[in-house]
Amino acid sequence: MTDTITFGQEISNLLHAAEGEPLKTCIQCGTCSGTCPVAGYMDNSPRQIIALINLGKKEQVLESNTFWYCASCYHCTVRCPQEINITELMYALKRYSIWKNRYKEGLIGPTFSEAFVKMIVRGGRSFEPVLATSYIFSFNTREFVQEIQGATELLLKGRLPLLPARIKRLENFRRMIGRIIPMGGLE
Amino acid sequence: MDKKDEKEKIGVYVCHCGTNIAGVINVEEVSTWAAENLKDQGVVISREYKFMCSSLGQELIQKDIKELGLTRVVVAACSPHLHEKTFRNACKGAGLNPYLCELVSIREQDSWVHTDKVAATEKAKAIISGGVSRVVYHEALEPLHVPIHPATLVVGGGIAGIQAALEIADAGFPVYLVEREPSIGGHMAQFDKTFPTLDCSACILTPKMVDAGNHPNITLLTYSEVEKVDGYVGSFVATIRKRARSLREADCTGCGICWEKCPKKVVDDVFEAGMGNRKAIYVPFPQAVPKYPVIDRVNCTYYIKGTCKACEKFCPTNCIDFAQQDEILTVEVGNVILATGWDLFDTRRITQYGYGRLPNVFTSLEFERMSNSAGPTGGNVVLRDGKTEPKVVGIVHCVGSRDKNYNEYCSSICCMQSLKFAHLVKEKTGAEVYNFYIDIRTPAKGYEEFYHRLLEEGTHFIRGKVAEISDATRLPSEEGKLVIQVEDTLTGNQLRVPVDMAILSAGLEPRHDSKALAKLFGISCSADGWLIERHPKLDPIATMTDGIYIAGCVQGPKDIPASVAQGAAAAARVMGKIQQKEIALEPVRATIHEEQCSGCRICNNLCPFNAILFHEDRMVSEVNPALCQGCGTCVAGCPAGAITGTGFSNEQILSQINGLLLLNVPKKQAVAA
Amino acid sequence: MKEFAYFPGCSLEKMASSYHMSAMETTQKLGVKLNELDDWNCCGATTYFYIDELLAYTLCARNLAIAEKTGLDVVAPCSACYKNMFFTAAHLKKDEDLAEHVNFALEEDNLHFSGNVKVKHLIEVFAQDIGPDELKSKVTKPLEGIRIAPYYGCQIIRPQKEKEDVEQPQFFEELISAIGATPINYPLKMRCCGGSLIISSRTAALTMVRNLLQSAVDNQAAVIATACPMCQVNLEVYQQQVNLEFGTNFSVPVMYFTQLIGMALGIPNKKLGIGKEFVAMAPTPLAVETAWGLPRKTK
Repeated sequence: MTDTITFGQEISNLLHAAEGEPLKTCIQCGTCSGTCPVAGYMDNSPRQIIALINLGKKEQVLESNTFWYCASCYHCTVRCPQEINITELMYALKRYSIWKNRYKEGLIGPTFSEAFVKMIVRGGRSFEPVLATSYIFSFNTREFVQEIQGATELLLKGRLPLLPARIKRLENFRRMIGRIIPMGGLE
Repeated sequence: MDKKDEKEKIGVYVCHCGTNIAGVINVEEVSTWAAENLKDQGVVISREYKFMCSSLGQELIQKDIKELGLTRVVVAACSPHLHEKTFRNACKGAGLNPYLCELVSIREQDSWVHTDKVAATEKAKAIISGGVSRVVYHEALEPLHVPIHPATLVVGGGIAGIQAALEIADAGFPVYLVEREPSIGGHMAQFDKTFPTLDCSACILTPKMVDAGNHPNITLLTYSEVEKVDGYVGSFVATIRKRARSLREADCTGCGICWEKCPKKVVDDVFEAGMGNRKAIYVPFPQAVPKYPVIDRVNCTYYIKGTCKACEKFCPTNCIDFAQQDEILTVEVGNVILATGWDLFDTRRITQYGYGRLPNVFTSLEFERMSNSAGPTGGNVVLRDGKTEPKVVGIVHCVGSRDKNYNEYCSSICCMQSLKFAHLVKEKTGAEVYNFYIDIRTPAKGYEEFYHRLLEEGTHFIRGKVAEISDATRLPSEEGKLVIQVEDTLTGNQLRVPVDMAILSAGLEPRHDSKALAKLFGISCSADGWLIERHPKLDPIATMTDGIYIAGCVQGPKDIPASVAQGAAAAARVMGKIQQKEIALEPVRATIHEEQCSGCRICNNLCPFNAILFHEDRMVSEVNPALCQGCGTCVAGCPAGAITGTGFSNEQILSQINGLLLLNVPKKQAVAA
Repeated sequence: MKEFAYFPGCSLEKMASSYHMSAMETTQKLGVKLNELDDWNCCGATTYFYIDELLAYTLCARNLAIAEKTGLDVVAPCSACYKNMFFTAAHLKKDEDLAEHVNFALEEDNLHFSGNVKVKHLIEVFAQDIGPDELKSKVTKPLEGIRIAPYYGCQIIRPQKEKEDVEQPQFFEELISAIGATPINYPLKMRCCGGSLIISSRTAALTMVRNLLQSAVDNQAAVIATACPMCQVNLEVYQQQVNLEFGTNFSVPVMYFTQLIGMALGIPNKKLGIGKEFVAMAPTPLAVETAWGLPRKTK
């Protein structure tokens, strides 16, 4: 079976809440792309990504920045006339590309996501200053300065935590995660 | 439960149906098994044949009846829906009462729904065993012959209903044409031009309306609704409420002074689609048939405040009658044609398209009225302000259709309608026109050519379903305009198209009360509300209830030519029935055994066909065999077990179950099989 | 008194502490008790769904299991937390295999989720459980004449749960009217602010913030009301960056709806966390008009 599974089936298998292969029902109407607030920044519009998946163009899909630009706003999803959950598809593509360690160069998304996950595994809660180190150095000087200015002002207003928050039953929590994914992979 | 005194001689016939059955079921094995194992049940012969329904297949059965003296026949083939009649007639031809033949389905209930060949073969044996056990208890029955009343009831006075009524009336039979609105004409009367030839809708419709109005064989019942239907094919009795027009038709000349003088203006949501006004006393449009107006009592000042009576004061023939009551008519008819049409999809439901919120978004019906020279703008295509001509117009296809959030089906007429709009806008205003479509569907005669004509006229076609229409302007060029946001899926460009006017080419929906209509006439409608035909291909105008036919959009979205064709087709079917003069009714029906009936009357209310009457004198109930449809509800409901159904007696059902469970087959053989 | 389990979420600990403060103050005043969940963990944000779906469900399920023990419906003030918890609960209820897998992991913390928790967003508590009428009756200092832009954002409304209106809802407007202010109608109230892109796709996100601020300003909003810490930070903190990037001059206050409700209920500013904003809300409608350079209206 694994030899004959198509790229479309692989991706459909990653859509937890869906049954069958919903992408096959796409009528290429473009409602998703017309709705998407970020479509203008994407290499391929969401509609084109679905067409590429259905064509089995795995390389072209993985080279596209489309799913890393998805803002998770679900606007496409509520309007899709075929009730395809396009936002979940974008999540699935992110997972797939991280899993295969294949993504377009120069994207912040993948490294940021991994840093975020590691952080939660460590403390159970989010801690912004640590997170910032995962992306801040890939910014250009102007962006860097602006980001630091923003952070400083937040700090002055008392809106940035100085110490990371941790949950109480952290040991249980980490063992719980260990039952889902091997901890070595993230640490 | 076992056998009767005298042993029946049963023949079993197993059909291959090409590979439909034989591809999954081992037909030879089944046939041999039946011959060997159902011997004790009375099976004297078991055969298999490639196509049992063919003449040669039928002749096989007939030969055995004659030569072997068969007293019962079991055919294992397709569903009784398809060939029960064939095999019954074959038996009849050989001198065996047709009701002594039982058709069991090993196709729909077995080979088509299973892939495991061994298990499917075993199941076929069980199904045949059930049929054999049952057929022993069949009785020879005679069909009931009832006369067909020559009159027909046509419900709905749109183009489909008018066509049906005219065909039947021209053939010399009486028709009652019932219409809810004050005039016949339906939606077609609202349209300006008709695609693809662009002939004027009114010019081709009004002659037919006049014909229907004047025809000696047509009784026109407008402003009326059917409230109740009793009876069965051949003799239905319909109760019709003829709402009070509040005037005496006999005296009215239709001169129009009353609606000229009426001081009360009302927004006309029906005929003018909310674009224009009418008076409280009105005819919907100048060519209305009949010509008499009605008083809209909800809005008439007299009915609200008790004063005014302007119409009465000015009426030259003194025909206004404020005290007039609704009239209840009962008519007897042999057949019914339902042609109640469609409603426009409510475009307000797609809030991102802004209808009702953004003034210059119009529905298709609004545009039809606007484009019509007899309409509220005198045929001028203008913005909601009533004077500004649009310079850029966007036409949005598939509004409310092909979308699981609204209606999944394609409304089939909107592509052509949109093309027509595009042409009219260009012709009348010279505006730039954009069509936003998913697919252009132009599959009828002359339609594709019309599309090409539009392409040549320079209408822009953008392939993409519109995401939203908003007044959120960003660029100076968008100022004061509506912005249509869409992906041009052919180039992958994200577009923001500024337009002055957006027309939503809304889909067709079943009438809001189609479910109630289906219930009233005892027929069924699909989940989305369209009435269901007897067969989607071979019998699209009959329903599962004998004597009730459907025509036009009540069956599903369709254009004018298709509606006319269906109206005429339904008429032909009805005339065929009338010419038969009488009809044979299935003798499958319930009987009450008087000596066991306790007179509790539970069955009286259970019967969906009002077929059970109660004899007060003897305190017992009785089934009217002509009305009984053999549904079996009363049989199951009778606490005394006093009711039996022919064809569905307790013995027949229980022995069939025993047969299915192979309880009648000696254990050893059952296992061996 | 109505009682809910309360899942504040990471942002409300510090970055959006004023949302937390105002939520507690206003609900208390309106007779609703919020009990913070014991030892809650991060909901995983959207990021977890990028990495491992099962892990993301497990993180949410831990909080849901803790909430289930209290026997109360759980309320989340952050739209992302709400969306994650709502759909995790729905999926776990529907999918036995998934629930079994997740519960196996939860055993490590002696927890079990059986699918019996209803998840609500904080604004739903105000719109449904309290209701605009009840709220109106408790208002002591109506925010008369203040034009407020209700910003729904994405994940309160989307994805669709049942058949509710996901394009033009009105409940936020009703709450604004209830506190005496004027809800403004602007076309982008349902559009995404780009919050989840601000790090990874900065230019795209800043453009989205710019468009939103522009739409609110074009319709003369004095303040934008949000119901999500992500939206608030994105629209407010990044306003300066938008101005630098696009040469604009935005200075629009972005407040939590609970802060505005709190003001109308007469709760002191300090208790509502007011004072931590980058752009302070103008104290009176008149001052707003001056600040915006709008023509003064005489009554």
